[in-house]
Amino acid sequence: MNQHIAHAATVLKHTFEALNNKRDILRAPELRELYGRIKDVPPGERAAYGQAVNSLKEEFEALVIDHEAAAESATITPIDVTAPFDVNISPADRPKLLPTEQGSRHPLSSERQVVADIFARMGYKVLDSRQIDDDYHMFGSLNFPEGHPARDDYDTFVTEEGLIAPAHTSTMQNRILKKGELPIASVVIGRVFRNEDLDPKHEHTLNQIEGVYVGKGINVGHLLATLQNFLQSYYKTDINFRIQPAYFPFVEPGFEFAISCPFCNQKGCATCKYEGWIELLGCGMIHPNVLLEGGIDPKEYTGFAWGLGLDRLVMMKHDIEDVRYFQSGKLDFLRQFKA
Amino acid sequence: MKVSVNVMRWYSDDAQWKLSLPELVDKMGAQLGAVEEVIDLDGKYDGVLVADIVAARDHPSAEKLGIYQINTGAEVIQVIAGDRTLNVSDKVGWIKPGATTPVSWGTAEPLIIGVRDMRGEVSQGMLGSGKELCINDDHSRVQVLDTDAPAGTPFAEAYNLASDAIIDIENKMFTHRPDGFGHLGVAREIAGIQGLPFTSPDWYTADAMLPEPQSPATLHIKNEIPKLVPRFTALVIDGIKIAPSPLWLQLALTTLGIRPINNVVDITNYYMVLTGQPLHAYDYNKVKALAGSAALTVRHPKPDETIVLLNGKEITPHTDTMMVAAGDYLVCVGGMIGGANSEVNTDTTAIILEAATWDMFSIRRASMHHGIFTDAVTRFSKGQSPLQNAAVIAKAAQDIIKLAGGTFGHSADVTHLPEGAVERANIHPPVVLTQDFVNDRLGSTLSVADIATLLGNVEFAVEERGTELVVKPPFWRTDVAIPEDVVEEVGRLHGYDKLPHSLPLRETVAVNQLRLDTLKNRIRDILSRAGANELQTYSFVPARLLHIAGQEKSSAFAIRNALSPELQHYRLSLTPSLLEKVHPNIKAGYNQFGLFEINKIHIKDDVAVDCDGLPREYQTVAFVYANQDKVAGAPYYQAKHYLDYLFNLLGVPYTIAPVEAAPAFAVGRQVFAPFEPKRSGFVYIGDGEFVGFVGEYRAVVSKNLKLPQTIAGFEIDIERLLNHQKATQYRPLLKFPQTEQDVCLKVDKSVNFAMLQGLVTSAFVNDERLRLTVEPLDIYERADDPDNKQITFRLTLQHHDRTLTTAETNDMLDMVVQKVNTSTPVERI
Repeated sequence: MNQHIAHAATVLKHTFEALNNKRDILRAPELRELYGRIKDVPPGERAAYGQAVNSLKEEFEALVIDHEAAAESATITPIDVTAPFDVNISPADRPKLLPTEQGSRHPLSSERQVVADIFARMGYKVLDSRQIDDDYHMFGSLNFPEGHPARDDYDTFVTEEGLIAPAHTSTMQNRILKKGELPIASVVIGRVFRNEDLDPKHEHTLNQIEGVYVGKGINVGHLLATLQNFLQSYYKTDINFRIQPAYFPFVEPGFEFAISCPFCNQKGCATCKYEGWIELLGCGMIHPNVLLEGGIDPKEYTGFAWGLGLDRLVMMKHDIEDVRYFQSGKLDFLRQFKA
Repeated sequence: MKVSVNVMRWYSDDAQWKLSLPELVDKMGAQLGAVEEVIDLDGKYDGVLVADIVAARDHPSAEKLGIYQINTGAEVIQVIAGDRTLNVSDKVGWIKPGATTPVSWGTAEPLIIGVRDMRGEVSQGMLGSGKELCINDDHSRVQVLDTDAPAGTPFAEAYNLASDAIIDIENKMFTHRPDGFGHLGVAREIAGIQGLPFTSPDWYTADAMLPEPQSPATLHIKNEIPKLVPRFTALVIDGIKIAPSPLWLQLALTTLGIRPINNVVDITNYYMVLTGQPLHAYDYNKVKALAGSAALTVRHPKPDETIVLLNGKEITPHTDTMMVAAGDYLVCVGGMIGGANSEVNTDTTAIILEAATWDMFSIRRASMHHGIFTDAVTRFSKGQSPLQNAAVIAKAAQDIIKLAGGTFGHSADVTHLPEGAVERANIHPPVVLTQDFVNDRLGSTLSVADIATLLGNVEFAVEERGTELVVKPPFWRTDVAIPEDVVEEVGRLHGYDKLPHSLPLRETVAVNQLRLDTLKNRIRDILSRAGANELQTYSFVPARLLHIAGQEKSSAFAIRNALSPELQHYRLSLTPSLLEKVHPNIKAGYNQFGLFEINKIHIKDDVAVDCDGLPREYQTVAFVYANQDKVAGAPYYQAKHYLDYLFNLLGVPYTIAPVEAAPAFAVGRQVFAPFEPKRSGFVYIGDGEFVGFVGEYRAVVSKNLKLPQTIAGFEIDIERLLNHQKATQYRPLLKFPQTEQDVCLKVDKSVNFAMLQGLVTSAFVNDERLRLTVEPLDIYERADDPDNKQITFRLTLQHHDRTLTTAETNDMLDMVVQKVNTSTPVERI
């Protein structure tokens, strides 16, 4: 199969030289034929073949762009970039701002602020997380030993250098512990990445709210009360909750935390799938290994942590039907969220 | 992990099964882990009765049908079956008219049996095949039952299937609980969370001894990788007869989704689902033939060694895979799946039964590498206890002999366990902790006795020493190693819903928002107030977009396991992502809009690093103004207008300089790449600190992204702005009126606006009592004078101490023009 690709590449290069409109190369029959052959390739080699054809096409796309860039005419006239407006422009035609009522803030950034403000009022420092991090902060510092099956539940993106696109904002836990003046009360809100195929309920790019509290005599009851307090403030209504044991390597014990549906008072609605309860977040008492790794003596101090999806909060709040709209850049969507 | 309530019930006390199914599932959810699905099987066998064949004859007009008179316990009736092999006194499962076949029960299309005429003979109901009765896969004949129950006994009663339910618990709940992958383990937990004691069967907990050999069949085991395989226990059973399993066993496996195979394989699977310990059976004689003697070797594969698996696939195992070999032949992928060359089938007369412990990490890697996901892999990858092997293999072997006959041959138990593990019957030493340690972490008030009872219920040995407890977890609990593990156990068994909760008490401290967060919010407010729309776009972009933007792919971090080529590279700036969103919105009917995003960018060849030596994350704001229609003048000025507005409200003074050459440093080069150098400017703050670019985009960018003719924008590093924000500087209101004067200056076309405005402004500086603004009014180029331009400023003058006279201001203007003239030739028009 590779000789087909090599042959097509040679033919295409000749054709490209001769073309007037270089862009036509991307519609060349030779390329189409290569794609057509995919079905003849043995299934085991299909992926490699497909990649090879794609990279050939990419190569020509690059050539076309380079050609066009080179052809960018010298006719482009310089302008006085320091001036407030162009020459010979009547006052009526000078640059104006767009109408205020057209402006909007992204619902995720607005809601981030709402959440951050509540925690700030509760005395929590609010931080951002990194978008590129290392294995130690993603796993190692959080009691996920190398090769641990729990890593399977966090199918993370890895760069060629072995750096990691974090799948949770817990990447900041170790940093917070190491730096924190006890008692520690911090919240991290940041972008995380999950190796998930897209559909209306699944995004590979999300935002997570991580909370960390460490002090003397901190117990499970403190964790539960803190979450309840936050959620009551957020939803401006009384919230009941229930917890379920769950396993996360960085907490012991660990829980899933479900709340009484704030949208229907547990009468049943689409948001809670008529169950009256909404599974909202994972939480637990910070594992002693995690505290130790952060330089805190687990005999002396205990703490709790939780992780909550911001996107989900916003979707439920506004009844947004498709999580992909957040990153879509669609003005139909964005302009509904007034500044 | 699917468990059958009936199987669990068989091994436990009735007292722990008093809850209704919904109550049980709720309690499991609250104290054991998330339940994924519950299938209530009550009713599945309604209308299925044990019946005796009392007379049999062939159907006169249908070749394959048999006509049977059966005793249903109440009457003798006639039933036709597609099977002529049944004999008088055979027991069968009769599905009576009006009943549903068990196999179709609970499905979308239940098959309800009726009274039917079959070629002139009446059939009252149906005699079930193994498949129809959910016993096995066999649909070729009527299933003859192996029960003594009298005719008329409900089938479910005869096979102890009444009111069974399958509860599917999420596997990830048991990632750290190997015992949770066995029915015994789950049954034990169900007792424990109800505060009831559980007692494991004796054969599981008593000191298991491998049986003495009664047959001369020898066995030799060599373990070359003892660190990865800490225990390999095996024994020979000689003189067995392979046959189908009894129906109770077939039923139990089928209910759990495991296909019955034969009496040996079924027993190995049964003890796996019971104890979590997978077992494997080899054909003894096939191993002997391959190896030349009855010997198995545990080792890694040699280069290019292959094995054909039980499922018929051939693989070349990865060199790190744990294998079992018979001489030069691989016979099993250890802990994962057997090989076809040593398969137990109807020819088999002797077997080697294996209960081994395989390294969980190696199992996981090999499973991922080869795409092999078996029930054994699921269990071994959670780290099964090596201390249960002897008990499980001894019991399974006894049951095999019970079902298949045979005698014990030699056995072997090759171990490499942590020191003291066997003596203390756990791989971990006992955990010592105090009552306070538990209560401090749970917020509870449990006594030592309370804690001891909770743990004792699930067979922990607890020694009370005053307020201290010495906790010895049972051998199957490989997960309990530290005091916090015991806290989890106690809290869960006690019930978290019983714990009191209150907010933590501490000294209140005022926390400030991060300055950068404040700045970001301010930028969002300013730009959205100016009619722009904030958006968010992916952090990852395709190579194509980088290339269109003129950015270097080699500067972008690449994702090794990207979902698609569209998401392969960390982006080098935000601008291309924003530009990609312009065309779709124009197509959607928006003619004129501004888009902005605040996010992070990463440049691989940048020299700066962040904490922990990680790549520097630059935070930028990118803005794009787009208009489907042509506006008067260069689009550049639309973007610059927004930049002016933003920096003005942020209180950051800045300047723009024409581009002499593209930036030489890595970040600047990438961010600047999409901008057209002749129609863009560098943005500086403070003492010439560079912060970003404003401008129009290169034609190739516009063309490839189908951008409208009016488009321009900026991208600014926002962190740098932090130290340059000027607080509001209030100036007292002046009592004397202000004077406005317009002055039009003709200069050479090459003189830029900012320079001239600067010259004019600085010409006034000598009087501190004078307040001055210099605003542009007009920039004019005459068609007949293309080498020059005329810039009109409106000067606003106001004095602290007096009203300025007209003569005075005119003098000042003359002086200003004169002064400017010393720097650059101007002519006042």
